[in-house]
Amino acid sequence: MIVGGGPAGLTAAWDLARAGVAPIVLEKDSYVGGISRTVQYKGYRFDIGGHRFFTKVDQVNDWWMDVLKDEFLLRPRLSRIFYNDVFFDYPLKPVSALRSLGIIEAGLVGMSYLKAQLFPHPEEANLEQWVSNRFGYRLYSIFFKTYTEKVWGMKCTEIGADWAAQRIKNLDLKAAVKSMFISNRGSKKQQITTLIEQFHYPKFGPGQMWEKVRDLLGESGHPVQMGHDAQVIHMDGRRVVAVTAVDRDGNRVRHEGEHFISTMPIRELIQAMDPPPPPEVLAAANSLRYRDFLTVGLVVNKDKLFPDNWIYIHSDKVKVGRIQNFGNWSPFMIPEEGRSCIGLEYFVQEGDELWSAKDEDLIELGKKETDTLGLINAADVVDGVVIRQPKAYPVYDGVYKDSLATLKEYLQSVGNLHCVGRNGLHRYNNQDHSMLTAMYAAENILGKAKHDVWEVNLEEEYHEEKATDAKGATGERLVPQRVTLSPVQVLEDAFAKYDPVALGAAMAVVFGLGLFLATAILVVKGGPHMGTHLSLLNNYIPGYSVTWPGAFVGLILGAVGGFLNGWTMAVAINAVVTIHLSRLLKRLDNPAPYETMDLEV
Amino acid sequence: MSADDSFTNKEWQVIGRAIARLRASVMAVVFAMLGGGVLFLATAVLVVNATEGMPVGPTLSLLNNYFPGYSVTWPGAFIGLVYGAIVGGAAGYLLSYVYNLVVETRHPHMKKG
Repeated sequence: MIVGGGPAGLTAAWDLARAGVAPIVLEKDSYVGGISRTVQYKGYRFDIGGHRFFTKVDQVNDWWMDVLKDEFLLRPRLSRIFYNDVFFDYPLKPVSALRSLGIIEAGLVGMSYLKAQLFPHPEEANLEQWVSNRFGYRLYSIFFKTYTEKVWGMKCTEIGADWAAQRIKNLDLKAAVKSMFISNRGSKKQQITTLIEQFHYPKFGPGQMWEKVRDLLGESGHPVQMGHDAQVIHMDGRRVVAVTAVDRDGNRVRHEGEHFISTMPIRELIQAMDPPPPPEVLAAANSLRYRDFLTVGLVVNKDKLFPDNWIYIHSDKVKVGRIQNFGNWSPFMIPEEGRSCIGLEYFVQEGDELWSAKDEDLIELGKKETDTLGLINAADVVDGVVIRQPKAYPVYDGVYKDSLATLKEYLQSVGNLHCVGRNGLHRYNNQDHSMLTAMYAAENILGKAKHDVWEVNLEEEYHEEKATDAKGATGERLVPQRVTLSPVQVLEDAFAKYDPVALGAAMAVVFGLGLFLATAILVVKGGPHMGTHLSLLNNYIPGYSVTWPGAFVGLILGAVGGFLNGWTMAVAINAVVTIHLSRLLKRLDNPAPYETMDLEV
Repeated sequence: MSADDSFTNKEWQVIGRAIARLRASVMAVVFAMLGGGVLFLATAVLVVNATEGMPVGPTLSLLNNYFPGYSVTWPGAFIGLVYGAIVGGAAGYLLSYVYNLVVETRHPHMKKG
């Protein structure tokens, strides 16, 4: 029994069928391929998100080639960033990027970079701090901020720095500039993360692969049960005994089986179990979250719009995050000459304003935004379609790791249940790694191996360039995690005290230097009545005068005065904070911890 | 709810020992606003209260020793605004930079913030 006709479910089904096992595949929708499907609209084909057939896993590559054979095209890749009406190469090329920015902006970027090098942010807790420390704030705000916030729906200051560190760890401006002058051909691993320049793509989009597998299964006597929604997973202790699915006519059909492969989102799988699993497992499943996705497909009465396969939209004037030009993925995606079809991708949350908007309003929005960007004339758009993809990405939030650990322990204890695929494992896998989990599950069922499917693709690195020696399944696609502040950290920030010595020292530098400079300027200027007023300071600073020796006296005694001033300020502020905190603690009706605090100033 | 429902004594100690950092950019802006604002107001008050035939702000105008172009006049008030902001901003930045440097030296074990 296989629940789900996406890449993982169909891979497992075809591998099992070829090995002589009779799989039953239930697919609730009317199409196969899941998020890797190709949507057809009046003959135009739309790929949900753009799926390059590229993998470091030879086993998967061979599988693809075996199924589609010569139906694959080898396509050139071009993707650029669109910002402020200008295109930038992606991956970024420093010289080209600076040239495209213009002299003034490039100068500002340079100054911002210099500032980041001289005075980096002392903390690197979030993505903004991490990236701007390496590239300068200005470059960060152009090339990282807007797009990242669109995709993940959270501010860069809320995204943990570790994500940036993993995703762009090999890219820094100095290294990039250096690499333009010094060849490093011999060290592939050291090369800045680059993306392949060509990729394989099925003639009719990624869905062609899965439609072919569906047909192969049908021809071998194991047709995919379309429109069958698995609603109840019948359990007997720690075994699955059957699945009850509801078909399009509302008929309930019970399917029994020996092994069960699930590509269902874990949350739905757990909720469908009968009897339900323990409460802590249910709670863990309910805590899993997903990010959703919608594509506004537009048919344009013009054949050559732009040469890119896709464009990242970094402008904050529009909501669209990425634009796909499907004709550049494959010319077979367009049924009529002289026309194009593009996909405007919006990263959304199921139920939010965009997700719930009417299709016609979304199409209008798409036309307006492409027109605003200057990429397409709205008048050239002749038709449109909206494709919503719920649960496109599993969300890695602050609680998912603990929840997933609980769920994994439970699901692994169900002997004949095999979870595979992106949502089946709640892991942000690409198509190839989703397929590999299914291949491993099939091998386990056939008794050929004892793979731990949950361990596939756990390496915390994702590079798209193919290393010559890479044969295994490596490289998880990373997802940013929200920076979570503990209550202790919040209170630390709220009640942090000033270091009196540090504030004293800082004031000493400012006061001492200030007085020295004020005196020195007058001494240098000279003149008969120079410094008569400033020299009145000797009423307070014995020995001070507007002379060179006086300047040094001013430096020292100004520093002493400044130190005392700063120290006193810090002590006073700390005393007020301490009183405030003690009152708060009394209100919390717990004086004990207050007594244990180090309240020295 | 009592406090110890949420925090252990050790956590309260951590809170009690936290050392504040200064945000250099914020301090620079605040000091710039203060510096520019104070000098503008000080000049403007003297210009408004000027008595005919009497010199206007002879003492404050000595600042033109440091700020070329500054005078106790309306244009001078705006020039003073700019100078005050620049000097104030630099002072605020320097103050927080030195402060954070000393804090990091004195409390290397503390988390940066």
